Amino acid sequence: MAKTVMVVDDSASLRQVVAIALRGAGYEVLEACDGKDALSKLSGQKIHLIISDVNMPNMDGITFVRELKKNPAYKFTPVIMLTTESQEQKKKEGQAAGARAWVVKPFQPAQMLSAVSKLIMP
Amino acid sequence: MDMDDALQTFIAEGRELLEDMEAALLGIEHDPENPETVNAIFRAAHTIKGSAGLFGLDYLVSFTHVVESVLDQVRAGELAVSTDLVAVLLTSCDHLSDLLSWVSTGEENLNDDMQRKSASIEQRLSTYLSGSSVAADVVESSAQEADAAAAEENDVCAAQDAAVSDQDLWHLSLRFGHDVLRHGMDPVSFIRYLATLGTIHHIETLWDELPAADKMDPESCYTGFEISFISDESKETIENVFEFVREESSIRIFTPDSRREEYIRLIQELPEEDMKIGEILVRCGTLTRCELEAALSSQQQSDESLKPIGEYLLEEKAVQPEVMSAALNKQKSVKDARPPEASLIRVDAEKLDTLINLVGELIIAGAGTNMIAQRSGMPDLMEATETLSRLVEEVRDSALNLRMVQIGATFNRFQRVVRDVSQELGKDIVLKISGGETELDKTVVEKIADPLTHLVRNAMDHGIEAADIREAKGKPAQGNLKLNAYHDAGSIVIEVSDDGGGLSKEKILSKAIDRGLISDGSGMADKEIFNLIFEAGFSTADQISNLSGRGVGMDVVRRNIEALRGTVELDSEPGKGTTVKIRLPLTLAIIDGFLVGVGNSGYVIPLDMVVECVEYGAWKESGSNSSCLNLRGEVLPYIRLGDYFDEASSGQRRERESVVVVRYGEHKVGLVVDRLMGEFQTVIKPLGRMFSRISGISGFTILGSGEVVLILDVPGLVQEAESYFSEHEKRAISA
Repeated sequence: MAKTVMVVDDSASLRQVVAIALRGAGYEVLEACDGKDALSKLSGQKIHLIISDVNMPNMDGITFVRELKKNPAYKFTPVIMLTTESQEQKKKEGQAAGARAWVVKPFQPAQMLSAVSKLIMP
Repeated sequence: MDMDDALQTFIAEGRELLEDMEAALLGIEHDPENPETVNAIFRAAHTIKGSAGLFGLDYLVSFTHVVESVLDQVRAGELAVSTDLVAVLLTSCDHLSDLLSWVSTGEENLNDDMQRKSASIEQRLSTYLSGSSVAADVVESSAQEADAAAAEENDVCAAQDAAVSDQDLWHLSLRFGHDVLRHGMDPVSFIRYLATLGTIHHIETLWDELPAADKMDPESCYTGFEISFISDESKETIENVFEFVREESSIRIFTPDSRREEYIRLIQELPEEDMKIGEILVRCGTLTRCELEAALSSQQQSDESLKPIGEYLLEEKAVQPEVMSAALNKQKSVKDARPPEASLIRVDAEKLDTLINLVGELIIAGAGTNMIAQRSGMPDLMEATETLSRLVEEVRDSALNLRMVQIGATFNRFQRVVRDVSQELGKDIVLKISGGETELDKTVVEKIADPLTHLVRNAMDHGIEAADIREAKGKPAQGNLKLNAYHDAGSIVIEVSDDGGGLSKEKILSKAIDRGLISDGSGMADKEIFNLIFEAGFSTADQISNLSGRGVGMDVVRRNIEALRGTVELDSEPGKGTTVKIRLPLTLAIIDGFLVGVGNSGYVIPLDMVVECVEYGAWKESGSNSSCLNLRGEVLPYIRLGDYFDEASSGQRRERESVVVVRYGEHKVGLVVDRLMGEFQTVIKPLGRMFSRISGISGFTILGSGEVVLILDVPGLVQEAESYFSEHEKRAISA
C-alpha cells in the first residue's frame, strides 16, 4: 500500500513539482492550498507525512501544525516544514508546535525526496 | 556489439586468465617468495570477479570473491603458501572453469549439483580465512542453505561479509530522544534510510532505558541502537540521515580505522592557512560541523577552566588520536611557518641590503677609531670606543638577524613536490622534515631552493626504487625521503637523504672512465667515486625520465651551491640509501674573523672555523719533513701559508711561528702562520672576477687602518692539504 503524503502550500506550482517528485517515488499525494484547506481535507484517513509551508493565507503553517497535533489521529504524523533561512524565530515556534523536520527553500526535488525518505519509506 | 558478444569475450578472457592462474599456481610451489606470482594469481581472480559483476553473474562473483579473499591474505603475507592451499586453489581454478562453461549455457542460476560444489569449495577456502569468524559462520550457514532458493543471494552476502574487516566499519551509537515518536519521527525509518547509503553489517537494539511496564509511557521512545555500518559515504552524509532527530537525540558516529590514513593525508594536504583545530578536522571530514558546534558549546558550558577543544574531542572519542595529532602538527607547522600577521613589518629587501652595507662600513670605521684611540693612549677615549665597538657588534648581529629566516617554509614546500612527483612516478614516498627551525640568510634560502628541488627529484627518481623492487629487497614498500638542517661549526648543513638503492660504484667508475673524467679508478676512496657524479655531464640512470637524469643535473647543483660559498658532498651505502650533504655559510656579508700575519701581509680566517692555536716551535725542532703534524696523537695535515702564498719571509719573526688548527666539516688542517693578531669583525668583500680563480682566497676585507687583507678560503685549503697529504702518504708507502 502506497503511503500518503499531504502537501500544503499556497503556491500551486510548488505543490505540483513536489507532487510529481513524490508520485514518481511511489507515494500517494494529497494537496491543500493553506492550513484551513488542509484541516478540512483531513477526515481521519491515514496520512503518513505532511509537508507544509509556513507563510500561507487563511491559516499559517504553524497554527496548522498546532491544530493538527490536537487531533489524536494525526498526533504522530511527521511534519516537514518549508522555511527560508532567515526564519529562525519561526523555526522555534514550529518546534514548539511539534514540527521537527525542516527543508530550506529553495530546494531541489531530490532534496525533498531524501528528506521524506528519512522519515518514511515509500 | 550486443550483450551476448560481450559475454563471449568475457568467457574467452576468463579462460585465458584461468590458464595464467593455473600456471602461476604451479609455479608458486617452487618459488613461494615471489610476490609477482602471487600478484598474478590475485589479479586473475580479481579480473574475473570484476567482469562477472558487470554481467550480473552473481554465482561467479560470490565464488571468486572467496578465492580472492584467500589470495589477498597470501599477498599480504598473512597466509603462507602450503601444498594444501595450492591444491584447494587449483580445485577452485577448475571449478571456475566449470562455472565459465555454465555461463555459456545461458542459464541464470546454477543447478543444485554446481551449487553444492561451489559451497563445498568455498567452505574449504574459508578455513584459510583467518581472524574473521563472521566470514566463516556465514559461509557455513550459506553452505547449509545451499539448497534453498535464496542460496545465491546468501552467497553474495556471505562473500561481502567475508571481505569486511573491523577496520572498514563505521560505528554508530544512537540514543533516540524520548519525544521522537511524539514528533512523528520513527527511529526505524531513519535506520532504513541509513541502509540506502551502505550496508548495515550488524545492529544491536538497546532496551536498557525501558522502564517497567506500569511506568512506561507508550508514546515515548526508549530504544537505542548500536550499528556497525559499511559505507563509502562521508561522515557528514551519514550524520545527515539523522538531521531531524539530532537535536533531541544523542547521535555518535565513529569513523572506521581504515579511514584514518585518508584523514591524515587530507590534513597534510590542506593549504597552509592559519586554521582552528576544529576547522582542520571538519575540512578533512573526520569531524562534522554539528559535532564541532556541540563540542564547542559544551566546552563553554563546563565550569572548569577551558579545556582545549582538541582534548575535549578526544575524550568524546569524536576523533581518533592519530588524526588529532596530525591536525595539531599541521596547525603548528602552519603557525611556525607564518608568525602572526600583526607583529610583522614588510620591508623592502633592498632597504635591508643597504642597512647591512652601512653596518659593514660602520664596523670598518669603528675599527679605525679604535686604533686611533689605542694609539693616543687616552684612557677615557679608549673606554668610550670600547663601548662603541660593543654596541656596533650588537647592531651588526641584529642587522644580520633581520635577514635570517627559518628554512622550514622552504622545506615544507617539498611536501607538495614529493606528493606530485611520487604520483607521477607511481612510487609511494613520504617526506620527513626535521630541523625546519634552523635559520639561515634569506638570500641563501632563496638560492638553495633550486638545487634542493633537483636533489629531491633525483632521490625520488633514481634513488628510491619502485615498491615491488623494495618489497623484493625486504624493505618497506613506502620509500622515505628526509630533509634535515642543522648548524655545525659556523655553517649550516642541509641533508637530503633517501632509503633507496644507493649508488653503484662500478657504474659510476665505468661511466666516469667512459666520459674521460678519470683515467682509472684504482685507489679512489668510495667518497671520491661517489662525488664524481657532481662532475659536468654525468648521469647513471638506466632510463632517462622527464624528471631528472638528462645529465645536466648534479654539476649544476654543485655550481649553484659553490656560488653560495658552500660545498656539497655525497655519501651512499648500497642497498641502504644515499645522503647528500650541503654545507653553507650562515651569512654572506659579515663574519667574525681571526687575523693572522704571514710575512708582511695579514690574512683573515673565519673565526667559526678556528679550533685552536698551537706553537709550531716544538715540531720545527724535530725537523720532520712529513706533510702532517702529530697533534696529541692525531694526524694533522698542514700547510705553511708563507710557502703557499709565496710571502717574503720577514726574518727573525719566523722564530715564533704558530699553527692555527681549522676545521671544515669532518676535516681538520693546520695552517702555519708567523703572527696571531686576534679577532676582528670582518666585512666580506667579494673578489673581482679576475681573481675569482685564485685558490685559497675567498674574498677580502678592509681593516680599520685602511689596510686591505685577504680572507682565506678554508674549505679550499682543507681540501688541498688533504689531497697533498694523501699523495704524500702514497709516495711514502710506495717508496
